[in-house]
Amino acid sequence: MYEIRFHGRGGQGGRMAAEAYALAAFLEGKYAVSFPIFGAERRGAPVKAFTRVDDKKIRIKTQIYQPDYVVVLDETLIETEDVLEGLKEDGMVIINTPKKPEEVELSKPVKCATVDATSIALEILGRPITNTAILGAIAKATGKVSIESIEKAIIEKFGARLGKEAGEKNALAARTAYEKTLVGVAKGGKEFKPRKKWLPTVEEMPIGGAIATMQTEAGLVGIGSFIENKTGDWRTFKPIINKEKCIGCKLCWFYCPEGCISMQDGKATVNYDYCKGCGICANECPTKAIKMEREVRA
Amino acid sequence: MIEKLPAKKMVITGDYAAAYGALLCDVDVVAAYPITPQTLIVEEFSTFVNDGITDAEFIMVESEHSAMSACIAAQAAGARTFTATSSQGLALMHEMLFVASALRLPVVMAVVNRTLAAPIGIWCEHNDSMPERDSGWIQMSCEDNQEVLDMIIMAYKIGENKDVLLPVMPCLDAFILSHTVEPVEAPSSDEVAEFLPKYEPQAILDPDKPMAIGTFTPPEYIQELRYQTHVAMEKAKDVIKKVTKEFASKFGRDYHGLIEEYRCDDADVVLMTIGTVTGTAREVVDELRQKGKKVGLIKLRFYRPFPAEEIRKIAENVEAFGVYDRAISYGSGGPLFIETRHALYGLDLPVLNFLAGLGGRDVVKGDVEKMYEILLKAKEEKPKEEIYWIGTRGVEI
Ligand code: SF4
Ligand code: SF4
Repeated sequence: MYEIRFHGRGGQGGRMAAEAYALAAFLEGKYAVSFPIFGAERRGAPVKAFTRVDDKKIRIKTQIYQPDYVVVLDETLIETEDVLEGLKEDGMVIINTPKKPEEVELSKPVKCATVDATSIALEILGRPITNTAILGAIAKATGKVSIESIEKAIIEKFGARLGKEAGEKNALAARTAYEKTLVGVAKGGKEFKPRKKWLPTVEEMPIGGAIATMQTEAGLVGIGSFIENKTGDWRTFKPIINKEKCIGCKLCWFYCPEGCISMQDGKATVNYDYCKGCGICANECPTKAIKMEREVRA
Repeated sequence: MIEKLPAKKMVITGDYAAAYGALLCDVDVVAAYPITPQTLIVEEFSTFVNDGITDAEFIMVESEHSAMSACIAAQAAGARTFTATSSQGLALMHEMLFVASALRLPVVMAVVNRTLAAPIGIWCEHNDSMPERDSGWIQMSCEDNQEVLDMIIMAYKIGENKDVLLPVMPCLDAFILSHTVEPVEAPSSDEVAEFLPKYEPQAILDPDKPMAIGTFTPPEYIQELRYQTHVAMEKAKDVIKKVTKEFASKFGRDYHGLIEEYRCDDADVVLMTIGTVTGTAREVVDELRQKGKKVGLIKLRFYRPFPAEEIRKIAENVEAFGVYDRAISYGSGGPLFIETRHALYGLDLPVLNFLAGLGGRDVVKGDVEKMYEILLKAKEEKPKEEIYWIGTRGVEI
């Protein structure tokens, strides 16, 4: 049996990728299961999904803690958390990034495959949805499943939902990624502050879970604690406001799910500490004053 | 705030006793929806409000679900609340019952036990309250109207105790109590105020000090909360004993905590009853005792928390143990029977179940005598059956 952990962001389709991979393995006569961790449904929040593949029926029902492969759909994730956590000694990480494997900095030097799935998706699909392209990269990097099966699975799964043409385009994205995937070894040594989590005992837990704002060892919890959650880290696209075009209608302010737009001198301004780059503001702006620009991080 | 009320003796229904009990406790908010045979409780209380005896907020709601929701919200805002319901009304509240207990809000609700349809009936059965076993409510049953009034007062004292903080559901049998008048002694409002101090909430919803309760909570936290509530329910056992003692010394009426033993001391066989059948069973025990039969009676007051230890202690000294149930868990047995068997695990004695009075059928002395007869026989020879449907046409016993 081998196990894969997918890291993505809410709305990127990590779960669909994990499921399509399971289907591809199934098409090759394997037994495969796939499941997500459901959390607060929030676009852009870090999410995980899992896939297990074996020759015989898989009975275990737990989440995956020691994966053989880690797949990262969104490169901002490798900046904020140690995606290698629990990865097996000889495991491998597959990352969506324009960088070469040797340029990627992680906590440990590990086998690493990279592919610029975002560019491939933009080019072929016209949208930065990377969940099909990344599947091609997995096929190439692991050799565990053929690209043909991946294509078939994509056409079956995505085609059924989005139509035949979209299915085929997505299969092409996977094929292109398959061809462009680079395999090497990532740099190690990047340090991550272990993220502390507030895990109160029965004694420490406020009665009935009634929580006001509370300072804990793990930082602020309760009402208003999201101020410490800098959702700006989630962003791959950045809204840029053209003040000339802005007529101050406040529609962006109204629709922004993070509440990070304010009006200054009658014009919209974005607080980039919290803007997660969802693009809703750009979509809603009646004068097209907001442009989403791809943000490439240092 | 309520008007000063003197101690007095009244001849009143069980419903009036419940409403008057809530009045004496100076509740701040009452939200209720009428349903037979609970209607009188709501009507009586609204009359108190109308007459200016209390300035409690009386909220008319469109359903029982809303009644419980309103009580939960008011209680979370720091108010002492009261409501009452019955049968289908309780079933409609089901969802919100779990909210009240998990948020640790000591709402008090009188439940008039009425058969849960189908078929539609308005008479006494315990199949409405017993399915709420796992809702986190303290659930108890009353034997007479005096106990109804006294229990409402004690319910607040128990529920609001810092070690407990759980909602309480005193139950009274439909019509047999709800619509029956009998003499009841009511303490004065001053005496009640001395016994029951002002409600001090552990957390209040206050716009100036924002707080979240019951919000989206991931698996990392919920299990600890469940454990907390379970411990609170366990701790309620001691609190109930303490409160009944305190009540006895202040008002002179002793309810003996979780159960009351009646002539169990040297008994060979014991029957455990709940609700109004207890009164009838006391009569039967006295008569059988006169005939030299060594029979005893346990009045079960609390279904939750379940007094397993107390029951076991008595069972250790008898040769057969009977459990009366006014509800059936289809495919198993009466709810109290199931619970008792669990409490008596490992003891070597016949434990039998008697079902009678379902749908409000009168449980007469002859029925109770039959139960004792079966128990006395079981002490001599191993019984063939465990569950006896007393007075059920076409079912042999
Ligand atoms: S500012 Fe625009 S892109 Fe940023 S979070 Fe708000 S709506 Fe989304
Ligand atoms: S929606 Fe566009 S025009 Fe309106 S306030 Fe926002 S940026 Fe300005």
